[in-house]
Amino acid sequence: MVFIARTKSPEEWKAIASAISTLVDEATFEATAEGISFRGMDPSHIALIDIQWPNFAFERYECDTVVKFGVRIDEFSKLIKRADKKDALEITLGEDQRTLHIRISNGYKREYKMLLIESSASSTPLPKLSFNSKIVLTPGAFDKVLSDVQVVSEYISIDAKSSRVEFSGRGDSGDASIALESGSEGLEELAVQEESKATYSLDYLSKITKAISTAGGSVAVEFSSKMPLRLEFRIANVNRIHFYLAPRVQD
Amino acid sequence: MDFDLVAQTFEQMEQTSSRLALTDLLVSLFKKTPPEIIDKVTYLIQGKLYPDYEGIELGLAEKMAIRAIAASSGENMSTIEQVYRKTGDIGDTAGEIMKSKGQSTLFTEPMTVERVYSTLDKIAKTAGPGSQEAKLRLVSSLLHDATARQSRYIMKFVMGKLRLGIADYTVLDALALAFTGSRANRQALETAYNVSGDLGTVAKIVATSGLEEVQTVGITLFRPIRPMLAERVSTPAEALERMEGKAAVEYKLDGERIQVHKGQDRVEIFSRRLEKITGHYPDVVEAVRSINTKEAILEGEVVAVNLETGEYLPFQELMHRRRKHGVEDAMKNYPVVMNFFDVLYVDGSSKTSLPYTERRKALKALLAGKQDDRIRLVEQIVASEAGQIDRFMAKAIEDGCEGVMVKQLSSTYRAGAREFAWIKIKREYRSELADTLDLVIVGGLYGRGRRVGKYGALLLAAYDPENEIFRSVCKVGTGFTDVHLEQFYQSLEEHRISHRHARVDTGMEMDVWFEPKIVIEVIASEITLSPSHTAAKDSIRQGYGLALRFPKFTGKIRDDKDPEDATSVQEIASMYKRQLKTIGKQDSDDRQVK
Repeated sequence: MVFIARTKSPEEWKAIASAISTLVDEATFEATAEGISFRGMDPSHIALIDIQWPNFAFERYECDTVVKFGVRIDEFSKLIKRADKKDALEITLGEDQRTLHIRISNGYKREYKMLLIESSASSTPLPKLSFNSKIVLTPGAFDKVLSDVQVVSEYISIDAKSSRVEFSGRGDSGDASIALESGSEGLEELAVQEESKATYSLDYLSKITKAISTAGGSVAVEFSSKMPLRLEFRIANVNRIHFYLAPRVQD
Repeated sequence: MDFDLVAQTFEQMEQTSSRLALTDLLVSLFKKTPPEIIDKVTYLIQGKLYPDYEGIELGLAEKMAIRAIAASSGENMSTIEQVYRKTGDIGDTAGEIMKSKGQSTLFTEPMTVERVYSTLDKIAKTAGPGSQEAKLRLVSSLLHDATARQSRYIMKFVMGKLRLGIADYTVLDALALAFTGSRANRQALETAYNVSGDLGTVAKIVATSGLEEVQTVGITLFRPIRPMLAERVSTPAEALERMEGKAAVEYKLDGERIQVHKGQDRVEIFSRRLEKITGHYPDVVEAVRSINTKEAILEGEVVAVNLETGEYLPFQELMHRRRKHGVEDAMKNYPVVMNFFDVLYVDGSSKTSLPYTERRKALKALLAGKQDDRIRLVEQIVASEAGQIDRFMAKAIEDGCEGVMVKQLSSTYRAGAREFAWIKIKREYRSELADTLDLVIVGGLYGRGRRVGKYGALLLAAYDPENEIFRSVCKVGTGFTDVHLEQFYQSLEEHRISHRHARVDTGMEMDVWFEPKIVIEVIASEITLSPSHTAAKDSIRQGYGLALRFPKFTGKIRDDKDPEDATSVQEIASMYKRQLKTIGKQDSDDRQVK
């Protein structure tokens, strides 16, 4: 059994770990010859994260079988965060497959051994969805929109029209409304096949966005009226970070 | 089957208290229920998952329940706690919160009865470290897909608070109507229920195979039988009127009524409510193994006892037995004896259709060969006059019993029935004792167990100054330390005489007699009429003296008192009169050792 995953920088791991930690306490990664993947749902089945991290994105990647390793995500994050931006990170499995070895090198060499937890066997399916609207934003712009609405409301409604998208929220203290038009700063793409409107929990959205936005790139928001939303975080080197969120039910 | 059918029926049931309406609702629910799962539906209706004798609890902590509601509704804990403080019920809280559940989920599974039942079953069977988290996940998995109404009943069920107020007989009525078309067939269903103790199984049999199959349901070892119950009257005369001139009278002990199932290499004990309580009485289990028979179902009363003196102790002492841990210690510190009064089944054949006299004979024969003195046959006489019962009852009460059971000699054992074939008479007055008494030691019984070679109990007397004699008032064996026992043995030795002292009057037989010299202080819970003690004889009631119930040595030897300074019989009589109170009519038979 060989499993080695080496990256030039810890930043992708940091983003992935903090994204996962917004939904679950324990995470089981799966490594195959193709790369590392993770899929998990929060206990209330409201949100789901789906990550694909292909072999070619690593500085060095070797895996000759299917390996599952479970970690307590906050413990894992703590160790990864010890690495500086420019440190290379190498992750391997212990001989007995009960420990994860994390080697941090560049400045000086450090090695952590972390006890793995029993990985949960159940596999999470993906919801089958089609999306009528797609909004691509810079993470900074998206985070700002969410924060603007969160000042007054716990929920955000997204109303997408062909050339304009409106984010709004309503709370006890008042209403918030933010409009972006094609060409607005931060709005990279707006593609609407059918006008769509739906409402989502801000708590989930802002947590995941804050967790990943530091990694840069862009975020695509896809949804249809009253249907689950999908966020696609496009960050360099990671093929896919998808975040699914079930809508609020309108009263 | 859609779980909402059940939830809807529950909702309708909560809104009615009419038995007829409840029955109709049940009939229509049963008719919609596939026969394969009717047992499960029957248990759910009763707020259970299994027949009583399985005795499994879901055991989800309140905090976890609130967390489950939070996870599924998306509401924060403090909002939910606020609603909980208002409603006082987790189920109602869930119903309220989920009504405004604004959050949908990514995946939904249909809410079927099968799914709800099997999830609840898993919750019940999850144990050990981390089980609370696992239970939480299971509860959440149901709540994700549940409507407000469904959540409400699921949470009530999980917390053990589903109280639809449906009596067993209502369920039986509904089963009879739904599957035989006539309420008249309830009797057959009830009989099957009484001997099997399992309403779910009876439901399944009648729904799948019909009435005839139900009639073949018989007694099965390790399945508790619903106990036969007694009516209550106030006086022996009233009891005798209901009998055929003659009746058996048994001690009604102040303990826990239990049903003992003995197999070849297994013994199980069930409570009066058919819960398995084998774990509370490992000593009874061991003692019962000594009964020389392959299989038997016996009924009796387990009572706390002072092993050294043989005295029965009050019911409260049994409380120490109802625990999960430390039963070994409790066993040592609170020993019990088992008093059997009935036998329902021996080696493959039911004894319930035999008359009382035959069953008593069979029981006596069974216990004749036993090797263990923790097993006794309950004290019994056959009486044809009220006076006989009166005396027997007074003796029973003095011995720590609650009263007596009067049983018709020709009566069969009717499981689950409450009829005048068995009649209980409990004492209606008690005279509580607040003061201590100073009494004279006049006799003794040799000790057993740890007290071998010492005295197990001492006979105490009060002074009758008019006649200048000492009249017995109780035997006391409780309250003595090892040091006391040694000391008493020594100091009593010089007062020991070969026969009852001429100035001592008592109806008790003793191993040794003493010259009335030593005065000790005792307390007791009450004063009671006695056929065997002679203190204040005839002053309250012709033919009866007064005695102390549950007496205890305080540890004080009254060296400062001469025997003539002891408490007088007149004082005891006036204490009795002063303290006499009517005992409330509320029945203590349904109480349980908690």
